[in-house]
Amino acid sequence: MTLIVLLAVPLVGALVLWRASGSRATVLHGLTSAFTLAAALGVAVQVNRGGPLAAVDGLLRADALSAWMIALISVVAALAATEAPAYLRPDAPGRFYPLFHLFVFTMLLAVSTDDVGLMWVAIEGTTLASVFLVNFERTRSSLEASYKYLLICSVGIAVAFLGTVLVYFAGIQQFGDEAHALRWTTVVRLAPGLAPRVIELAFVFLVVGYGTKAGLAPMHTWLPDAHSEAPAPVSALMSGVLLSVGVYAVLRFKPVVDLAAGPEFARRILLALGLVSIAVAAAFLWTSTNYKRTLAYSSVEHIGLVCLGLGFGGVWGTAGALLHIANHALAKSVLFVLSGRIRKAYGSTEISAVSGLMGPMPFTGGGFLAAMLALLGLPPFGLFVSEVMIFAAGFTQGFPFIAAVGLILFVIAFAGLLRTTHAILYGAPSSRHPVVEAGGWPRAIPLAGALALLLLTGLAWPPGLAATLDRVAAIVTR
Amino acid sequence: MTTVSNLLAFFGLVVTLLIVWRQSWPARRRLFVAQSLLLAALASAVGLFAHRRALLLVAAVVVVVKAWVIPRVLSRIGAGAPVRPIAPGRSSGMSVLVAGALVVVAYVIMLPVTAAAELPTEGAIPLAFAIALIGLFLCVTGRDALGHILGFLVFENGIFGLAILATYGLPGIVEAGVFLDVLVIVLIMEAVVVEVRREHDSIEVDRLRELRG
Repeated sequence: MTLIVLLAVPLVGALVLWRASGSRATVLHGLTSAFTLAAALGVAVQVNRGGPLAAVDGLLRADALSAWMIALISVVAALAATEAPAYLRPDAPGRFYPLFHLFVFTMLLAVSTDDVGLMWVAIEGTTLASVFLVNFERTRSSLEASYKYLLICSVGIAVAFLGTVLVYFAGIQQFGDEAHALRWTTVVRLAPGLAPRVIELAFVFLVVGYGTKAGLAPMHTWLPDAHSEAPAPVSALMSGVLLSVGVYAVLRFKPVVDLAAGPEFARRILLALGLVSIAVAAAFLWTSTNYKRTLAYSSVEHIGLVCLGLGFGGVWGTAGALLHIANHALAKSVLFVLSGRIRKAYGSTEISAVSGLMGPMPFTGGGFLAAMLALLGLPPFGLFVSEVMIFAAGFTQGFPFIAAVGLILFVIAFAGLLRTTHAILYGAPSSRHPVVEAGGWPRAIPLAGALALLLLTGLAWPPGLAATLDRVAAIVTR
Repeated sequence: MTTVSNLLAFFGLVVTLLIVWRQSWPARRRLFVAQSLLLAALASAVGLFAHRRALLLVAAVVVVVKAWVIPRVLSRIGAGAPVRPIAPGRSSGMSVLVAGALVVVAYVIMLPVTAAAELPTEGAIPLAFAIALIGLFLCVTGRDALGHILGFLVFENGIFGLAILATYGLPGIVEAGVFLDVLVIVLIMEAVVVEVRREHDSIEVDRLRELRG
């Protein structure tokens, strides 16, 4: 029941907001966001206390992995939602709020259905809902970004459809017309008997398809454009959770291929894509001259790290990867929200135009620094812990060479990002004079909350987090 | 059944190769309509043979969406575009050669599937996949937005044909999602292309080069 409520709230909110305008829209937007968050946390608590939830004849199903993603999506969506009213002029053109909630709805649907076909429909829906959000500012470059985004992700998702069809085909070839052959629970149950070569081929298509959505190199080319052109709250959602939804889809098929064809196949693909992603990101982190694009390439790097963790496997690798998804989502969404404020003050996204930001904008700069230190993986923030878990898994699971290469690339990326951060915050003051920053606690509270959560995952795991991660990891490691 | 599905898939492939061959936009659009009608024929043939009434409905939807609505949108998008690309492109002979090679590639990639299949339609599966690959090739090498969209649609037709041949129809909710998806993508593309044209006075991709690095 709570699952239905969870999906109904953003959907109904989007429909109502379609006709609302002015301050009424802002209030409705706030209510929708708050109720979505409440319902999502309700689902997460219920699943963690009482096991998987199901609704609509099992079509909707939330296990520990879904609950983890639902909680994450709703928290990042709430953070982005608090920033949206300040970002938009009251008379802003287009339909920002309804599309925003539709976007959140499609992501929530993707992670809370048991039907891999419906999951595919929902993930395609994320593209359709967000493409107009990317082009929200209607400039030449945002138009180009949304065109690339739509085209590349549509092709990618069609490849994922092919993979889904092949999984279905393997199921009905082996076991006849199983009524629920597209249900994930059924597919995993039947997996040991499925034709291994077909499942391997299907997994390749699924990784390429959903990997496009996840921003894995070399399918990442849409990502820096879309992330840098979208309004800040949308960038936060895309980078924080949309990419993770792509990873989630791959993750759902990993146990299937592991059971059908042995664990080596998926492992090799994930490790290779992970290393390539980190390498590509490291190169661009050194050359990018635009700070929003720098943040976008950093997302490619972190999704690569997550893939490494999943490839290394074991409880540490998998749990580390899942924790890293959450940590990255929190840190990156704070950074995107702040980058939106910086952009608003300076009117530019070039690093050279905003350098020496700490002088005129100490509050924004301070927040940026804190979130960036978290993103770089320094203690006491949570990314340090999850990165240690991922690389430790590499060394203990018997992949010291790959882990070492990953670590070297990681350090290169780290240095590139640190250099950019230094230039932005402490570089020679730019000739532009920013608009005086709007201070005030109300705007700082959501960001401080996200950073506090990162401190929790870094310093003192709240009771139950370890058990939750174990449960989530158990779902995908077979 | 084997003969019918092989024949329809083969005609589909021939039409696809003609799309690669022809340069004139209205001709390519008409060929796409022909391909969609072949897809509908395939869906109804498999539906009659395997007693899947749902597939007859699918065939009807294919006719409406892919042979009528989408071509209309395509001709709206193409209105004002020159009949042939202005820039003298590669000779289409080369493209057809690549497309021919892709057919071989498709057979190789689909080997595990045809090996596992015990269906009368299995012979046509690599042909459908070849159509998809050629569509992808068209999409990647397309010089303007029209080329991209057409390539994507051909790609999608190939995958949909493969789905019908391999599984005799997917659950209704997924198929509904697929149709809705293609339709919305084409409509959004239209909106985007209209804006691109307003901004750039052209829909050639070469003008879209602002975002780099």
